[in-house]
Amino acid sequence: MSMWKKIGDRETGRLCTNRFANYVRSSRVSSLSLSNYKDIVSAHRGSVNSLQVDLTEGRYLLSGASDASAAVYDIQQATDFEGSGLVAKHRPLFVVDKRHEHGHKYAVSSAIWYPIDTGVFITGSYDHFINVWDTNTTQVAVNFKMPGKVYRTAMSSLSMSHMLIAAGTEDVQVRLCDIASGAFAHTLSGHRDGVMTVEWSTSSEWVLMTGGCDGAIRFWDIRRAGCYRVLDQSQSQLGRRPPLLQRATVNKASTSKSSSAGQSSSMKTRTPQRKIANGNVSKQFPISRLPAQAKGSMRQRLHPGLLSSQDRATAHYGAVTGLKVTEDGMYLLSAGSDSRLRLWDVESGFNTLVNFETVRLQTSKMIQLATTQDSSLVFVPCMTAVKAFDVWSGKTSLIFRGHYENVNCCWFSSQDQELYTGGNDRQILVWSPSKSFVEEGKDTRKGQVHSVDEDNWSD
Amino acid sequence: MSIWNYVVTAHKPTNVTHSCVGNFTSPQELNLIIAKCTRIEMHLLTPQGLQPMLDVPIYGRIATLELFRPHGEAQDFLFIATERYKFCVLQWDAETSEPITRAMGDVSDRIGRPTDNGQIGIIDPDCRLIGLHLYDGLFKVIPFDNKGQLKEAFNIRLEELQVLDIKFLYGCSKPTIVVLYKDNKDARHVKTYEVALKDKDFVEGPWAQNNLDNGAELLIPVPPPLCGVIIIGEETIVYCSANAFKAIPIRPSITRAYGQVDADGSRYLLGDHSGLLHLLVITHEKDKVTGLKIELLGETSIASTISYLDNAFVYIGSSYGDSQLIKLNLQPDSKGSYVEVLERYVNLGPIVDFCVVDLERQGQGQVVTCSGAYKDGSLRIVRNGIGINEQASVELQGIKGMWSLRSSTDDAYDTFLVVSFISETRILAMNIEDELEETEIEGFCSQAQTLFCHDAVNNQLVQVTSSSVRLVSSTSRELRDEWHAPSGYSVNVATANATQVLLATGGGHLVYLEIGDGRLTEVKHAQLEHDISCLDINPIGENPNYGQLAAVGMWTDISVRIFSLPDLILLTKEQLGGEIIPRSVLLCAFEGISYLLCALGDGHLLNFLLDLGTGELTDRKKVSLGTQPITLRTFSSKSTTHVFAASDRPTVIYSSNKKLLYSNVNLKKVSHMCPFNTSAFPDSLAIAKEGELTIGTIDDIQKLHIRSIPLGEHARRICHQEQSRTFAICSVKYNPSNADDSEMHFVRLLDDQTFDFISTSLLDTFEFGCSVLSCSFSDDSNVYYCVGTAYVLPEENEPTKGRILVFVVEEGKLLLIAEKETKGAVYSLNAFNGKLLAAINQKIQLYKWMLRDDGSRELQSECGHHGHILAFYVQTRGDFIVVGDLMKSISLLIYKHEEGAIEERARDYNANWMSAVEILDDDIYLGAEHNFNLFTVRKNSEGATDEERGRLEVVGEYHLGEFVNRFRHGSLVMRLPDSDVGQIPTVIFGTVNGVIGIIASLPQEQYTFFEKLQANLRKVIKGVGGLSHEQWRSFNNEKKTVDAKNFLDGDLIESFLDLNRNRMDDISKVMGVSVEELCKRVEELTRLH
Repeated sequence: MSMWKKIGDRETGRLCTNRFANYVRSSRVSSLSLSNYKDIVSAHRGSVNSLQVDLTEGRYLLSGASDASAAVYDIQQATDFEGSGLVAKHRPLFVVDKRHEHGHKYAVSSAIWYPIDTGVFITGSYDHFINVWDTNTTQVAVNFKMPGKVYRTAMSSLSMSHMLIAAGTEDVQVRLCDIASGAFAHTLSGHRDGVMTVEWSTSSEWVLMTGGCDGAIRFWDIRRAGCYRVLDQSQSQLGRRPPLLQRATVNKASTSKSSSAGQSSSMKTRTPQRKIANGNVSKQFPISRLPAQAKGSMRQRLHPGLLSSQDRATAHYGAVTGLKVTEDGMYLLSAGSDSRLRLWDVESGFNTLVNFETVRLQTSKMIQLATTQDSSLVFVPCMTAVKAFDVWSGKTSLIFRGHYENVNCCWFSSQDQELYTGGNDRQILVWSPSKSFVEEGKDTRKGQVHSVDEDNWSD
Repeated sequence: MSIWNYVVTAHKPTNVTHSCVGNFTSPQELNLIIAKCTRIEMHLLTPQGLQPMLDVPIYGRIATLELFRPHGEAQDFLFIATERYKFCVLQWDAETSEPITRAMGDVSDRIGRPTDNGQIGIIDPDCRLIGLHLYDGLFKVIPFDNKGQLKEAFNIRLEELQVLDIKFLYGCSKPTIVVLYKDNKDARHVKTYEVALKDKDFVEGPWAQNNLDNGAELLIPVPPPLCGVIIIGEETIVYCSANAFKAIPIRPSITRAYGQVDADGSRYLLGDHSGLLHLLVITHEKDKVTGLKIELLGETSIASTISYLDNAFVYIGSSYGDSQLIKLNLQPDSKGSYVEVLERYVNLGPIVDFCVVDLERQGQGQVVTCSGAYKDGSLRIVRNGIGINEQASVELQGIKGMWSLRSSTDDAYDTFLVVSFISETRILAMNIEDELEETEIEGFCSQAQTLFCHDAVNNQLVQVTSSSVRLVSSTSRELRDEWHAPSGYSVNVATANATQVLLATGGGHLVYLEIGDGRLTEVKHAQLEHDISCLDINPIGENPNYGQLAAVGMWTDISVRIFSLPDLILLTKEQLGGEIIPRSVLLCAFEGISYLLCALGDGHLLNFLLDLGTGELTDRKKVSLGTQPITLRTFSSKSTTHVFAASDRPTVIYSSNKKLLYSNVNLKKVSHMCPFNTSAFPDSLAIAKEGELTIGTIDDIQKLHIRSIPLGEHARRICHQEQSRTFAICSVKYNPSNADDSEMHFVRLLDDQTFDFISTSLLDTFEFGCSVLSCSFSDDSNVYYCVGTAYVLPEENEPTKGRILVFVVEEGKLLLIAEKETKGAVYSLNAFNGKLLAAINQKIQLYKWMLRDDGSRELQSECGHHGHILAFYVQTRGDFIVVGDLMKSISLLIYKHEEGAIEERARDYNANWMSAVEILDDDIYLGAEHNFNLFTVRKNSEGATDEERGRLEVVGEYHLGEFVNRFRHGSLVMRLPDSDVGQIPTVIFGTVNGVIGIIASLPQEQYTFFEKLQANLRKVIKGVGGLSHEQWRSFNNEKKTVDAKNFLDGDLIESFLDLNRNRMDDISKVMGVSVEELCKRVEELTRLH
């Protein structure tokens, strides 16, 4: 339906604002194509490995690349214009590379913003170091020496009480580096191989998810020792709620499941500020039907007594190369060197068995996935293309072809509905909703979007 | 600087979103409870109708309103949940007649995505739990314990992602919900789940039904004995239960609301999107459902909620039109309708656009709104003022003057009404049946026009005609004495009080008479150099029967003079200036201060402070009340003195806090007025207007008066043009009889007095009117209406074509002068430097008005600016352009004359989805965004870096709780330069819920004072249900929640005046300011609206 009609419905209150916004967002996403009005002038002379737009203003894009450099771009305000003013060029505001006195020596694998403000950013490198930079002075404020190549770093966007960088490295242990103290706060042991990817929960500031080269995805509550869940690709939620007739028998075996304390509502008023989820997820029992266990013991703490068979469960055959939690905190997407993409229910830990039409994924390198705000689409680097899959059906919605070589990372800006992708061709490409003055402007580049399933998006 | 803003509601929300019926206030009383988004109204059902009991604000937007009865209770409790995830349970306290809070809490979650389809809140019919669907994929359960207390809530995973409706089923041994949902492929199904409270999980329920009607959106649970659920679709209605499935086809319609008629659930009222009311009947044999029947009852407002009250009385709550109380008759009327509308409750919502017009140039705006939607669309004229409640009226042409007289000096009431005509005088009196009847006073001269009449001492009456002054006994009605004008002279003007008469004859003769018992004595005579135009000797000194001063208005030298009485010595002469003669003078005292009011022939009024001893006039002030001569008269209402200024724009002048205030009377032209206080109509006024004599009383308070102009179509944009005295609207007419929702789009011209359509321009097929503007261009003296349109093609997501149409109004017709095609929808039009500035999709485009060789005119594009997602809302000031974007907040552009280019100057980088913008002053811009917040940003011209200058700094944030569709500068009250509030700039806003509000930019000192008062009031005035005011007003969107800053809640502050004395004292102590001072300062603010 047309925008003007939607605006009319919003004016009269017939269309609630939330739905209006989702409609606009999804219709914009469905028109994403290689931007003909916005260019990022890449500062990198190596593969772009990591991309992130800051979470506070949605204004500054941070990139990290294999030439040991990291750069920041203003994606809202162009540096200059080309093409009779129609194409905005965004040149880096600054670059830190090998020439910098505290610059990394080898490839930057991960570059992330401090979630609370843009005054600080963090880079992780194959030179075994994690650097914490002061954005304004471009000096290193703190650094951490890691036991091996750093694959991925992550900070919790929810955290009000800790300043921990979770780091996945060549080492089997996941380390939490505390910016406040400059020291390691924890080491999390459980993986049997290097850890390619780490991801904080979007519903609890204490919960961390890690994906290892051992094919395991582990969930940790950092307030407690050990991992409390290992995802098992064979554990699905089919038949989770048996039909009424079978209930009697199943009831004896008990399908009891406790809900996490983080979801319960208090009967008192809370502060109006951001909710601090006290998600004591550890209470949760990950596997629903264990005939041997009696009801009373269901709520016992699982770890460290996690059964060894569970502890050996795998999420992918081969390495887990990418993790992404949906914004609502309910689902986890994982990519593996088995070229599979899986969707997991975070609360139960079940594999939802959505069959994503992936063909081939990069196997040797960590890949950075992105999702839209409403979690309806996931953007996945698939060799030289980026594909957008429908999260619920697994069907391919859009294909973004533009990079000449493999794509490593993508970032979706939910504020502008723009997709940023970085690849081995050293380019950072912007994919934006089409603008109607396209006919007037000049056709720009090689890129092309292939829309496979448009019907999903017309409303 | 307009940083410090005060937000207050002038017209409360009227959009009825929810309603329910139950025994809330007592087990025997039946109540109707209505939610108007942020307010709750409680009514009692009485044989006389609905009796209002309570109307309270809720600190939240109400998402759910449900009555329920916990076990062991004799009456119902009220459950309310708000959109910001607060809930409360209220119980009526009969002793204080107030609701008390039984429970309250927060049901927000960190996890989950807020539902698209609206929040759902339901209560198990057996009161075992409350169920809430607030986030996709989660069903929240608040269980009750055995004592009816709420226990800790928990979530259950709901796999169905696109939930459309959830209801509890009746008659299930365990609480069971039925879920209507949409799958990945958009097919709709229902499914049932049992809630296992112990396990905190669902168990698959007794039945499910797949592949329903594609428009199915509403579930109606059927109570025992039938049980099951009715599923309302767009083309079918289905009854479904574990063992029955019945379906009937219906005429395609979207059902918005239902109301259950019988306790056994066999009949339901259904209200659809076109306002048709149907009765759905479940036919059954005992407990077995045999089928469904549907019958059309008639038409109502488009219902958002239906509550069956009792005895065929039904309340229809509406979001798009007036809410109604209807009666369902057993027999259809002549049109075949069973619906009889008994009462209508005004609803201004949704206000999609409005304009502020000051038709009389008085500084007081009246708001003309585009209200309602679809067939219930209307224009509403909202104005502040004093209303007259008409009691009686008679047709009488040519009234030249009116006076009321008593039948004896001691009588408390008036008896006679003397009405003067050009060549006769008639006397009306109240008879025993309380009817006005013509009578006679024998001593009066009835064959001449009366110039003045008054009660005199000693049971006498005095009448002045052009030839004589007659003194008449009020008891015997006989003439007692007469004073004759000297021959050759006739009396031109006269005035009198109980003991004195002052009159003027031609040639500047001023004659002063005193009234004795049966005697008129000429005491003094004075000869002035010019003719006299008006006189007054109203006693304002200590003696209420004897005046010490006389005010005299003069022809020729245009002056007003004060003479002493009885010696007629000139004390003061005040030149009025200008060429307009004084037409009425009045000596009066308000709150112990003496004034001289002097009204001119052109509708202006001068007021002076008068020194009673010296006759000195000081502190001259001038205001415009109308355009025609004014006649001033005092009257009293509630034992205080007011002045009525009769003219083409009748006004009441009164005083508050020792300031003169002016309030419009909601009447058209009034030629004469006199107080007429009779036993049948106490405290009434007799008003002569347009061939009619009306007796009425005045409202005691200033309030908004609303006139409704039903259109039968939906007006979306409105604009006024002063020169042609017309309004132009863009409107849509829906044709519901046609299945493929065909629409017609118009630009219509309306007369600004009668509001009749006087000319119409039909737009093309698929062409919508998006914006309308009245403007003129450089080098062209004509005034035009410019209309921006969009071609909304079904296959296009965003319009790629539109037009700008330029019309001129000639002889009441819209004449198309020029048109310009655009590459998108013209969302906004502004007059800009003698040019036309249009917002077209992403672009801001400036057009010049060019004269072609053949003498015709055309719009020619000059320059533009890209860089918006969609530029919806545009305001301009000088060379500055403020743009409100679809989703990228506010940006500031500047037009550079030399380069002929538009450039971006600064931007707010927050991701606000805008719904309206306005420029408060050069540096401060006001925005409304779609999560119901207001915010202000400041231009930072003094920033040190480009980056700082390029950023609009957020200086104010506030949660209004209303969706604002439009801001306009203006005021609903008369803004006089001499009053304090006259200096405070105000912006009016209109919202979806029908709220008209005011944003006033206060001086900092005043703001700080009221901020402190607000903080103290928060402690004293507790929100209903324990909801927090501070949290309610905190700015809140998807990304952040922060405390309100630089905005004050005027509704809370003004509620200070409703507090009892003790609580006022408490606040006074904390504030260190006397209660009187506090009241005075708050009252001043109330005068802003």
